[in-house]
Amino acid sequence: MAKKLGFLVNIERCIGCHACEISCKSFYQLEPSMRRRTVRELPEDLVGSPVRAFVSTACNHCDEPACQKACPVGAYTKRDEDGIVVHNQELCIGCQMCGKACPYGVPQYNPVKKKMDKCSMCYDRLDVGESPICVSKCPMEAIEIVDYNEVQPSGTVSLVPTFADPSITHPTTQFILPKPGKQFRRA
Amino acid sequence: MLADNVSRRTFLKGSAALSTLLGLGAIGSKATNGLVPTAAAKSNSQKQQFFNACPRNCYDTCSIVTTVEDGRITFVTGNENNHYTKGRLCVKGNTYPRIVYSPDRIKYPMRQKGRGSGNWERISWDEAYTIIAKKMLDIKKEYGNTLPICLNKYSGNFNILNYATEGMLSSIGFTTRAQGTPCDPAGSDAQAFDMGTAYNNDPEQFMDAEYIILWGANPAWTSAHSMYFIEQAKEKGTKLVVIDPLITQTASKADEYIQIKPSTDGALALGMIRYIMDQHLYDEEWVNNHAIGFHEFVSYVKKNITVEWAAEKTGVPKPVIERIAREYATSKPANIWIGFGMQRHTNGGSMVRAIDALAALTSNIGKKGGGVNYIGGETWGFNYHTMSFGAPEGTEGEADRYVNMNNFGAQVLDAQDPPIKMMWIACRNPIAQDPEPNVVKKAFDQMDLIVTADLYMNQTVEYSDIVLPVTTPFETVGINVSYWHYWMNANEQAIKPLYETKSDLEIAMGLSKKLNELEAGSCTFPVSGNLVEWVEKEFNDDIRKLFGVKSWDELRKNGGTVKASEKVTVAWEDLKFRTPSGKYEFFSKKAVEYGHHPLPVFIEEYKANNEYPIRCISPHWKLGIHSQFQHIDWLGAIQDHPFVEMHPDLAKKYSIRENDMVNVRNEAGYLTLPAKLTKTVPVDTVVMYEGWWKDVHYTENFNVKALPSDMGDYSKGQRGIAFHDNFVKIEKA
Repeated sequence: MAKKLGFLVNIERCIGCHACEISCKSFYQLEPSMRRRTVRELPEDLVGSPVRAFVSTACNHCDEPACQKACPVGAYTKRDEDGIVVHNQELCIGCQMCGKACPYGVPQYNPVKKKMDKCSMCYDRLDVGESPICVSKCPMEAIEIVDYNEVQPSGTVSLVPTFADPSITHPTTQFILPKPGKQFRRA
Repeated sequence: MLADNVSRRTFLKGSAALSTLLGLGAIGSKATNGLVPTAAAKSNSQKQQFFNACPRNCYDTCSIVTTVEDGRITFVTGNENNHYTKGRLCVKGNTYPRIVYSPDRIKYPMRQKGRGSGNWERISWDEAYTIIAKKMLDIKKEYGNTLPICLNKYSGNFNILNYATEGMLSSIGFTTRAQGTPCDPAGSDAQAFDMGTAYNNDPEQFMDAEYIILWGANPAWTSAHSMYFIEQAKEKGTKLVVIDPLITQTASKADEYIQIKPSTDGALALGMIRYIMDQHLYDEEWVNNHAIGFHEFVSYVKKNITVEWAAEKTGVPKPVIERIAREYATSKPANIWIGFGMQRHTNGGSMVRAIDALAALTSNIGKKGGGVNYIGGETWGFNYHTMSFGAPEGTEGEADRYVNMNNFGAQVLDAQDPPIKMMWIACRNPIAQDPEPNVVKKAFDQMDLIVTADLYMNQTVEYSDIVLPVTTPFETVGINVSYWHYWMNANEQAIKPLYETKSDLEIAMGLSKKLNELEAGSCTFPVSGNLVEWVEKEFNDDIRKLFGVKSWDELRKNGGTVKASEKVTVAWEDLKFRTPSGKYEFFSKKAVEYGHHPLPVFIEEYKANNEYPIRCISPHWKLGIHSQFQHIDWLGAIQDHPFVEMHPDLAKKYSIRENDMVNVRNEAGYLTLPAKLTKTVPVDTVVMYEGWWKDVHYTENFNVKALPSDMGDYSKGQRGIAFHDNFVKIEKA
C-alpha cells in the first residue's frame, strides 16, 4: 500500500524557538526573507490558563493540494508512493497562483530566482533514509513524519487556531495539543 | 562570567584540588561518525566537515559540525558525538552561516573621524597597530605607567584563546580593568559562602530527577538543550514545577507554575523550610554530619519565619507552599535549578542562600539527579597560557587597577592619578549592555582613543575611534567548555578568515610586534605563533586526566568533543565542601567578613516609589544572547523590533491597546516602543527583552540604574547589578 506521509507536530513539546525554521533556511540556503517552515504564536488562552504556545507548520502535503490545481504549468505533483507534494522549480513560471490558492499560504515567491518555493518534506533525504531537516534539528524532537496509512496516533487533532479549515484541501499535518498545567497566579 | 582573574584562580584551584581524584576517561573508543575532517576521507570531494565550538555566553556551549564546500560554509549543525548538543542547535546557532556571511560584517580596520559621526575610513592593519601602539607608548611616557589604558572585555566569546587580549595588555605593564560580571555574582557568592564555590550537577541528570523546581530559570529560551532533558523527564513522570514572576515559555510547560512576587523567592524558600522543619521532613543525619550552623539556622527560622508570613510576602497561598515543600522534601532526588535572573535583585544573593539551605536540609546536595544547580567551573582549569607573559622588565607599579564593570561609566569618570585616557573593548558591547549607557558614553567622551574589536557595527563600535574586525569561530582555532554541562569542544578553523579579519590572539601578536618595533622590549607578548600550537599550550595534566584526552589534536580527530570524568559530574558527591570548615555552612563567617548576615536570612526587597510604580524586568530574549544574534536578518525576518509586554489590565488603565507606542520612563529618561498585551506577565510589571535590533535605537538598559545586588565581591571582585529592581512609569506615546 502506498504511504501517506505527513507531519505530526507536538505543540506540547514545542517551545516556539524557530530552530526548525532557521535550520531549514540554513540547509537550503534560502533568501533571508523566505521560509519553508513557519512558527506562529497561538492564542495564549489555548488551554485555559495563559501560556506561551506556538505551532510550527510547513507544507501540509495535502490530499487535495490547491497549489496543484491552481498551477497553470503542472509544476506540482503529488508522489504516488508517499503523497509528498513536490514543486518542480524548473517548470515554474513564477506566476504565484499557487501561493494565492493555498489556504495556508505555503508557496512563497523567491525574489531572486523569480520562482515559487516550498517545503518538499526533504523527500531526497527521506528517499535515502534520513529525516527531514526540521525533524532532525528540532531541539525538542517536536516534529515527526508519520505514515498516516500505517498508524493513526491517538490524541492528535487536524485543526489548531491560525490553521485553515482542513476540509478544503485535506492537509496531512496533525497536531498534539498542549496539556494544561496547574497555575497559581497572583491576584 | 568567567572572565575575571579572581574567578579564574578559583577555578584553577578547584581543578587542582580535584585532580587527585580523577581517573582516565575512555576516549579511544569514541565513534567519529565519519566526521573526521580534512580531504583525506574523500580525496576528490570538495565537501569537508569540521568541528566547531559555539563560544557564546550560554549554558549550552554547543559542539558544532560545519560543512564546507569549495571553501565556503554551506551548513552548520550540532555534533551528534556530544550527548548534550545531540546533533541539534538552538535557533541562534542555526544562524551561524549568516553570521559569517552577513553583509554587515566589519571587513577591514577602520578609523572614525568624530565619534558617532559614522564618518569611517578604511585603514591598514599596520596603520591601526601604529596608531594604537604609539598612543600606548605616549601614555606610558606621559604618566610613567600604563594605568590610563583600560580594558573592558567580557563574554562575547569564551574561546580560551581569547584571553590573549587580557594577556596582551598585561604584557605592556599594569593597566586598568573592568572587573566583575553583570551575570551571576550574587548567586555565586551565595553558593561560595554555603559550599565553597558554585558547582552544579551535569544537566543531563535532569533525567534522573524525581522532582524538578526551575526557580527563575527559563531554559526554553536560554538553554534549549537542557529543556529537552527536562521535557523528557517530565514525559516519564518527573514533576516539573516552575517558580517565576512571569509565565515564561518554560513556565508554560510546567506541571505546576507558581507566580511569585519578584524578589521574594528567599521568603518562599524560608517558608518551605519552616514547614519542613515543623514536619521533621529534613535529613537530621545530613545536617549533623555534613553541615555547620544548622541549630543557629533553626533558631532564626523558628523565631522569624512562618508559612503565613511567607504566603503574605510572596503572594503564594499557604497550602501551595506547604504542599510544594512536602513534595520537594519527600521526592528523591529533587533537583533545583536557580536562574541568573532570580538573583539580579538587591537581595539576590541572600535569596540564593535560602534556596541552597532548602536543598541542604533535605540532603539533595551531592546526589545524582539532585542538587541546587546554578553554575559551575570544574572544567575550566586550562593553562591560560596567553596571560602568562608578565609585565616588561622595569615596569612601574605593582598591580592592575580595577573599575567595577557594573558601574563602568561612573568609575571610569572617577578614576584619578592617573585618569583613564584609552579604552580597549573586546567581546563586549558596553553601550548596549551596561546600566546607565549615557554615563558610559560620557566616560567614552573623556578618552583620547577608543579601540573596539568586533564583528559588527554595534552601538559601542559606533562610539569608537578605531574598529578592528574579528573572526567568527569558524575562521580561527580554539577550545571551549561550559559553565553548565561537562563537555569540552574543539574549535577547528573551517574556512579562511573573511576579508581582513583576525582573532583576538592574532591581534595581540600583531600589536606586540608593532610595540616592539617602536620601542624594543615594550611588550612581552609573543609577536608570532601558530594558532594550533597556541591552543595545544592550554592543555595540562589536570585537563588531560579530567577529559581523558591528550591534546587538542587528539580531540579534534576523535569526534571534536569529550565529556569530563563522571567523578566530577555530581556536584559535592563526596560531601567535602570547599568552605573554611569543609562542611556545608548554614552559618558562614566568610559571609560576615563580606558584610552579610552569617545565616540565609530574608533581606527586604527593593521597593517601588509612588512616582515610578511599575517594575520593569529585562530578561533574555529567545532570538539573541545579550546584544548578539538578533540583528542578523534571518532573525529579523521573525521579529524586527523590540516591544514591551504588559498585562491587558495594566494597559487598560493607560488606554493602551495592542501595538500602541508606549513611553517607558524613569529618572534616566524614556524609551518608546510598541505594546504587546499578554496575561503571561503580572499586572504590576512590564517586560522589555534584551537585544540589539538592527537599525533600531534601543537598549533595554537605557533606564536601568547601576544599582548593585547584595553580593558578588567575594568570588567575582564586584557585586552584581539589580537589573530587575528597575521601576518605571508608562504612558501612551
